[in-house]
Amino acid sequence: MALKTIPPSRGPAKTSGRDRAERKLAFRMTAPSLVIMALVAAVPIGYAIWLSLNQYSVRTAGLSRFVGLENYINALASREWWAAFGQTFLFAGLSVSLELVLGTAMALLLNLAFKGRAVLRTVVLLPYAIITVVSAITWQTMFQPNMGLVTNVLSALGLPGGDVVWLGEHGYAMAVIVMADVWKTTPFAALIILAGLQVISAETYEAAELDGASKWQTFVNITLPLLRPAIVLAAIFRTMDALRVFDLPFVLTRGANGTESMSMLAYTQLRENRLVGEGSALSILTFLTVMVVSVIYVRFAGGNIRDVAKEEQ
Amino acid sequence: MSTLTAERPTPELATRAKAPKRRRLRGEAKLHPMVWVFVVAVMGFSLIPFYWLVNTSLKKGASLSQGELFPSQPTLENYLVVFQNPEFLLALRNSVIIAVVTTTVALVFASFAAYALARLKMRRKAMILTLILSVTTFPAIAIAAPMFSIWREIGLYDTLLGLIIPKLTFALPLAIYTLTSFFKEIPRELEESAYMDGATPFTAFRKVILPLAVPGLATTAILVFISVWNEFLLAVTLTTSPEARPVPVAIAFFSGTSEFDQPLGTISAASVIITVPLVILVLLCQKRIVSGMTAGAVKG
Amino acid sequence: MDLNRPASPLQNKAAKRTTLAATAIAAALLLSACGGGAAPQGAEQAAAADPASGANASGAVNICGVKDASGIYKGTAEAFTKANGKVTAKYTEIGATTDEARTQIVQRLEGKSTECDLFVTDVIWTSEFASQGWLLDQTKLVEANKDRLIPSTVETTKYQDKYWGSPFFTNAGLIYYQKDKVAKPESWQQLYAEAAKAPGNGYVYQGKQYEGLTVNFLEMLYSAGGEVLNDQGEVTIDSKETRDVLNFMSDGLKNGSADRAVLTYNEDPARLAYESGDFGYQRNWPHVYRLLNATPLASSFAVAPLPAWEGGKASGVLGGWNLAISAHSTNQAGAVAFIDFATTPDWQKHVAMDYSQAPVNEAAYSDAAVLEKMPFATELLASVKGAKPRPISPVYPQISQAIYKNVYAVLSGTASTEEAVKKMADEITTAKASF
Repeated sequence: MALKTIPPSRGPAKTSGRDRAERKLAFRMTAPSLVIMALVAAVPIGYAIWLSLNQYSVRTAGLSRFVGLENYINALASREWWAAFGQTFLFAGLSVSLELVLGTAMALLLNLAFKGRAVLRTVVLLPYAIITVVSAITWQTMFQPNMGLVTNVLSALGLPGGDVVWLGEHGYAMAVIVMADVWKTTPFAALIILAGLQVISAETYEAAELDGASKWQTFVNITLPLLRPAIVLAAIFRTMDALRVFDLPFVLTRGANGTESMSMLAYTQLRENRLVGEGSALSILTFLTVMVVSVIYVRFAGGNIRDVAKEEQ
Repeated sequence: MSTLTAERPTPELATRAKAPKRRRLRGEAKLHPMVWVFVVAVMGFSLIPFYWLVNTSLKKGASLSQGELFPSQPTLENYLVVFQNPEFLLALRNSVIIAVVTTTVALVFASFAAYALARLKMRRKAMILTLILSVTTFPAIAIAAPMFSIWREIGLYDTLLGLIIPKLTFALPLAIYTLTSFFKEIPRELEESAYMDGATPFTAFRKVILPLAVPGLATTAILVFISVWNEFLLAVTLTTSPEARPVPVAIAFFSGTSEFDQPLGTISAASVIITVPLVILVLLCQKRIVSGMTAGAVKG
Repeated sequence: MDLNRPASPLQNKAAKRTTLAATAIAAALLLSACGGGAAPQGAEQAAAADPASGANASGAVNICGVKDASGIYKGTAEAFTKANGKVTAKYTEIGATTDEARTQIVQRLEGKSTECDLFVTDVIWTSEFASQGWLLDQTKLVEANKDRLIPSTVETTKYQDKYWGSPFFTNAGLIYYQKDKVAKPESWQQLYAEAAKAPGNGYVYQGKQYEGLTVNFLEMLYSAGGEVLNDQGEVTIDSKETRDVLNFMSDGLKNGSADRAVLTYNEDPARLAYESGDFGYQRNWPHVYRLLNATPLASSFAVAPLPAWEGGKASGVLGGWNLAISAHSTNQAGAVAFIDFATTPDWQKHVAMDYSQAPVNEAAYSDAAVLEKMPFATELLASVKGAKPRPISPVYPQISQAIYKNVYAVLSGTASTEEAVKKMADEITTAKASF
């Protein structure tokens, strides 16, 4: 690649040569990632899509039939799907909102300069570092009737909830799952938002202080808007993961008491029942749901990803 | 972006772009007591379930069924059992290799792609972003079985490389999105001055953007490392022997004395043990997460 | 803006080449993933295992299955290798949990893998795997070994009048109870009545929404005379017996016989709850015996076989594991030899003594050495002989889900007995009509 100097003004392209060089560079820089993703993900995804358009007999070996969109239509017409849909969205809505709020608070805290901040930052990340299944088991034991940490403490303090069978009651079960998820993944949101905080320079705060703004005003009118890209990014990823939740409800309740998620439905059909066609269709419906939500986020919540997507060629 | 962040670059920037000295962004160390309360609350929230995990790891046998807050007879036996398990140590080695390689490669590839997306002219960015997102959104369970067949076919089954490649694939979207968002924050003026000094886009990328992007890179590194370290579904689908199994799968294979036993003691001990490398990683990176990015680079 | 000016020809070509290469590779992989195009092979076309081949077997045999918690699989493989001299057997753990093992086994069988000669299969997988033509027909082998196998255990390998596996060891539920607090249960009704008498007498069982709940429910239903499928395979779960059992279980939760906490218990939490000393009865598998002996309750607990429903015969549900030969095995003779060894009366004694599992050979239960290690062997034998397999059908997973989801709904109060029974019957009928 020949060395090219680039004129200072970056207005509308005047030289297509420069454009071409830039596009070529852009292509080369994105190619490795795209190639890997295409090679590895494209085939299994394509295969899963093909599977979803067929039905494979579980009673007669090797028998299959092409059914087009029938698996999708059956899924969308079933009560189980919509129940799972609603429950998953409820879970995602509660979890993600809590994670964003707590994550921002945590990020502000982690940003402070004080003695022992290294310890705080490490401690705060510990929940995210634990294997999901192990954390699910831990939360399960903590809420165990009669013997769990939480039930014991609640009883000892005379607070309500001490003799409730949390994981066996509608509503309470969802609460435990939300708590377990928030505990585990708030650090993720906090990290991303913390990175977003770094962008805001000290001068900005100083200027605000000089103008006589209170800490709260500074936070709401300056920090939050500047944090928007980071919060949106955290929201996208957390929502994507929350809508696909599987391990937590599977270990904690097996989907009982109003906690079955879309991924659990897909798993049941795919793995347990070996209804590969139907299961793949459920997986893809889950996938489409998540994609639609993510795209809506990016479109309406703004942030840097939207800016990039809107860029002209 | 509000005008408050409009900064004027200085001519010396090109030479000073390397790691500016960290400047306190927020006040000094004088903290309101309420903040301390909050610090304690946050630490408590993070630690209590972890404490319970450690608590369980120090118990053995019958005491596992008592819900004691402090083990009456704490024992390190579970840790000994775990460390003496050669399969677990193998799994540790595997996990470290897989996570380190995946994170490094992901960072390199993703930072290239993120720069192109955030800064350069390129066609169909929206489509590329959507495709990238769909890779990470697609339910892993739907593609686990096809991957199993394909991997067996091409001989990558039960190998470390066979795990690194798909984990890299699913880690890239997170890395690319995070870095793209982060790169976009860096003021263009900094590159402008680099161009004025005669740099090519790639040189600007290497010498200007990357050093300033250290917080983003460190954050992404931690997130990718942890997600690769703890990933279970692909790991269990694509491996079968202890030589290739990473740690989460090895822990799942810890056995009690019967098919119904969940050996909580050893599982807890192992889970505690495997957070140690992650803790080390975070301790190494945590300073970098909070480097003052534009501090010192901006005047006037 | 030059929106219409194409990018450099060089970039275009490079892009085109990359896309072409990627598509070609993708197509190749896709074709390979679809696998070979062999004609559909079901249970009808399955080959049969030859019992006589075991005598001349040689080479290596690989047995694959769930993680070897009790050590029985590796132990048997080693003992067989030593005893046989010509065949070497090895055990490979391919699943951390029963569900995971099933996934791994299915993946291998579907992919026609030759990695494993024998699979250790849960008793409920037999009809599924057999219907897909994945297993060798073991009818002749089972006939040859008939005399040393308990009939109820052999029934778990039956599908369409043929046998598709040999029982290795079995499992049946037992009632553990606190001698000092409650009486030995002669009937379910008595058990529940005793359990309700005082808060510390309660009954714990597996009531979480999973396969274990199906087992707990069927144990009562069978004893009450109820059925899920009759001999012709028709759905007969919509019956008075089903309603009686459901009402009984649900009342038990309401009047204090069982704690609502059982809705969150599978095997281990139930055991741990019982070990806390706050309960009087526990339904669990035999493995709990050894664990209870290591707790302060060691001197105060006793074992009883599952009680009978009033007016009925005591019954139960069989668990356990079978040995199935893969249709793609490259050493069928070796597999047969292994099965022959594993089912010998002598080795079955070791199954009980060394690994605390329930043997499939009746004589083992009265052996003195076995009784020393497993004092409850007589009770266990009673449970095993009276037990029945779970519904035999290739769509068993769906049937089980229909059962446990609806039973759970009744127990947790979200559905009435009537609704639940109707729904169960509906869902099972739909499942049986699966394509």
